Amino acid sequence: MVKTETYTLNMGPQHPSTHGVLQVVLELDGELVIQAIPHMGYLHRGIEKLAESRTYTQFIPYTDRLDYVSSMGNNWGYCLAVEKLMGITVPERAEYLRIIMTELNRMASHLIFMGSLAIDLGASTGMMFGFRARERILDLFDMTCGARQTYNYIRFGGVSVDIPPQFIPELKRFLADFPAMLAEYHELLTGNEILYHRLKGTGVITAERALEIGLTGPALRASGVDYDIRKIEPYGIYDRFDFKVPLGKVGDCWDRYIGRMEEMKQSASIVAQALEQMPEGEVMTKIPKVIKPPIGDVYHSIENPRGELGFYIVSDGSTKPYRIHVRRPSFINLQVLNETCQGLLIGDVVAILATLDSLMGEVDC
Amino acid sequence: MQEIMSLFQIAKMLRALLESFLPDQQLVDICMSLINIGAIFTIISLSAVVLVYAERKVSAFIQRRSGPNRVGPKGTLQSVADMVKLMAKEDIMPDGADRWMWMLAPMLLFIPAAAVFVVFPFDNKAIFADLNIGIFYFIAISSQSVLPFLMAGWASNNKYSLVGGMRTVAQMLSYEVPMVLSILGIVMLVGSMRMSTIVAAQEQVWFIFLQPIAFVVYVITATAEINRAPFDLVEGESELVAGPFTEYTGMRWALFFLAEYANLLAVSAIAATLFLGGWNGPWLPGWIWFFLKIGAMIFLFMWFRWTFPRLRIDQLMSFGWKILLPLALANVIITGIGMYIYEFFS
Amino acid sequence: MLGKGLLKGMRVTFKTFFHKKETLQYPEEKLTMPARFRGGELDLNTEKCIACGLCKMACPNHVIEITTAMDDAKKRHLKSYVYHSGLCLYCNFCVEACPTKAISWDKNYENSRYFRDELDVDCLAIAKQKLTKTISADDKASAEKDNTLKGGILDE
Repeated sequence: MVKTETYTLNMGPQHPSTHGVLQVVLELDGELVIQAIPHMGYLHRGIEKLAESRTYTQFIPYTDRLDYVSSMGNNWGYCLAVEKLMGITVPERAEYLRIIMTELNRMASHLIFMGSLAIDLGASTGMMFGFRARERILDLFDMTCGARQTYNYIRFGGVSVDIPPQFIPELKRFLADFPAMLAEYHELLTGNEILYHRLKGTGVITAERALEIGLTGPALRASGVDYDIRKIEPYGIYDRFDFKVPLGKVGDCWDRYIGRMEEMKQSASIVAQALEQMPEGEVMTKIPKVIKPPIGDVYHSIENPRGELGFYIVSDGSTKPYRIHVRRPSFINLQVLNETCQGLLIGDVVAILATLDSLMGEVDC
Repeated sequence: MQEIMSLFQIAKMLRALLESFLPDQQLVDICMSLINIGAIFTIISLSAVVLVYAERKVSAFIQRRSGPNRVGPKGTLQSVADMVKLMAKEDIMPDGADRWMWMLAPMLLFIPAAAVFVVFPFDNKAIFADLNIGIFYFIAISSQSVLPFLMAGWASNNKYSLVGGMRTVAQMLSYEVPMVLSILGIVMLVGSMRMSTIVAAQEQVWFIFLQPIAFVVYVITATAEINRAPFDLVEGESELVAGPFTEYTGMRWALFFLAEYANLLAVSAIAATLFLGGWNGPWLPGWIWFFLKIGAMIFLFMWFRWTFPRLRIDQLMSFGWKILLPLALANVIITGIGMYIYEFFS
Repeated sequence: MLGKGLLKGMRVTFKTFFHKKETLQYPEEKLTMPARFRGGELDLNTEKCIACGLCKMACPNHVIEITTAMDDAKKRHLKSYVYHSGLCLYCNFCVEACPTKAISWDKNYENSRYFRDELDVDCLAIAKQKLTKTISADDKASAEKDNTLKGGILDE
């Protein structure tokens, strides 16, 4: 008698297309996925525990390394939480600089998303194109704060240093070139029928299920839920800018892909508006030399490229935090992998992982 | 120019040279045969070396990089460096692998890739073996390359390899059928399967203009037969690491690679022969035209690889069976009707 | 038309085939680092350093080890300054904390080593070496000039 049985395939921690060190244990029936269980923790560095033995200011470089691709956002989320606890206000110019840097970082992060999606599906040229555009953004950051990926730029009370004089002309050149670059990527990738058929209709996450699980970010908006913290509870000076939030209809991989490409365009428009409106002035208020927040706790969340990044800080009145917990969007988004992949093929697992856009540094913390 | 430098003339000169200092006619014949065999093996091995370099350069230029440019002038000796490195690697056989099948798989893959070269018309009257079943021989031998993939996949004792091996069998078998049917259109037009007749029939007009649908179907199925993107999910790097080849290192892996590039050269040569007029062409000797046309086809295949993402296995199967097969059949029917109308009016 | 998107993609890659290459031929060509680049090792200027220890207190990761000594005039000066580059986060807190701008980045990113203990950099020794080199070069240039360069920090 012929008997079929399922087998276990391990897409191990070292794999060309898990975004970092993620182990996905697949239980397969031929090519159909029965279960896809992610095993995380290979990049765990104990950052939340480290926070208990660092002062508030000394912890800022560690937040860089959570979601290392969108460091500006991480810095800003943490600084906003501490500023909320201590009641610090930030000067105008610093607010504008924070927004410019964070939105540029959002573009850089989505370019990585596009590149890694392209190479996971086999179009390695797409990855080269995406990373080339990202180089321009990283050069801008390099010229401002001296680092390309872990910036330590946004501090309590403002930003650490003002932009050099050659920043604005360089940024204007980049913004002028960017629409043509984006059009090229759309022509190469979005118009491609093979990519369309790979992504359309696979990995559907319904809006109800997304809200139940706590999905946030572009993945949630692709399922049709209009939840963007920049519009709902604006932090910084986001209420002064005019931008759209792209929404999807079905919640499949295609919607998640198109949503992020559209977000890049909107970020470019926010940066252009901020450039026009930015006033002169100082970039850092007077804050005490030693940061000693009052006793209490605070939670503040921002819209990071991957979702809602939140910092919960418990302070006991000393210079070192009692406990910091980071609400990491990639960690929470990754839960949805198992149920989304069931009944699909191995190729779809790769596409879903790529469009959920989880970064292991943030998943493991 | 065309007549002086054609391969046939070169062969005649060589034969005269040999006859001048070898006593026996039979000895001269044996020598010429050995030279022929040597030439074919040289082409196959050189093709791997040259094509690896060409692929890396083409992919680099498409991605606005430079590609290899350190080893040798403009990086031309890079393939030699790679071969030396591969030969120096340790030969590891996985524990629990089926020993004989595992060792035979790369060799069995290389043999059909090499054996099809005997029917290519490099020039006028310059085919190694002008069989009257020329194109049928090519189809029969090249379909033998399905089995070594499955052997490698099974014998490696590795789940990734097994999945890759199963996918190969499915893919290559499904795409054999439309390929044969697209070639059938050409055979109907010419009325013979002999390669030299097919090329001679294209003196006035190349068959790509008479059979455009067959050309498109042939190019797509050939890409699937040689496991290149967008049909490379056999060795889909981002899904299955390396598919059936995962457990092979060093020279064994180099043999797989060699076979893959020899296959690429083979299908490009067939496309050049059947659709692009073979060695026909003004002014330049025939064999130069043949290699130029092969070069154009190879560039086309490389262009496909570096632009398109890969298809999923179910999309690939449905594309082969539900779209390409009816298209190829329709092409055969239209060709038949067209031929009948043509004869009716002339 | 079916396949139009594919052909458009092919047109994009065909056009990029002829574009200018963006590869930098390292090590023959090297990029110049921007002025604020944080990389390499810490460069200590012993003339400006007042041995206050603020850089050590600002560092999140105990990368800088300083020992100081008080001399008779109740002035602090440095006895040793070790920078553990293997632990460094390159966060720039030490450079920003220094009140006299005595430390800076030497921007030499080509500083990999074979052994782990070579990652600990003795900044004071390097600074002294640099000073003797400049002083001996100056001496050679102005052989008859006054001897005011001697003494002071070289009195070890």
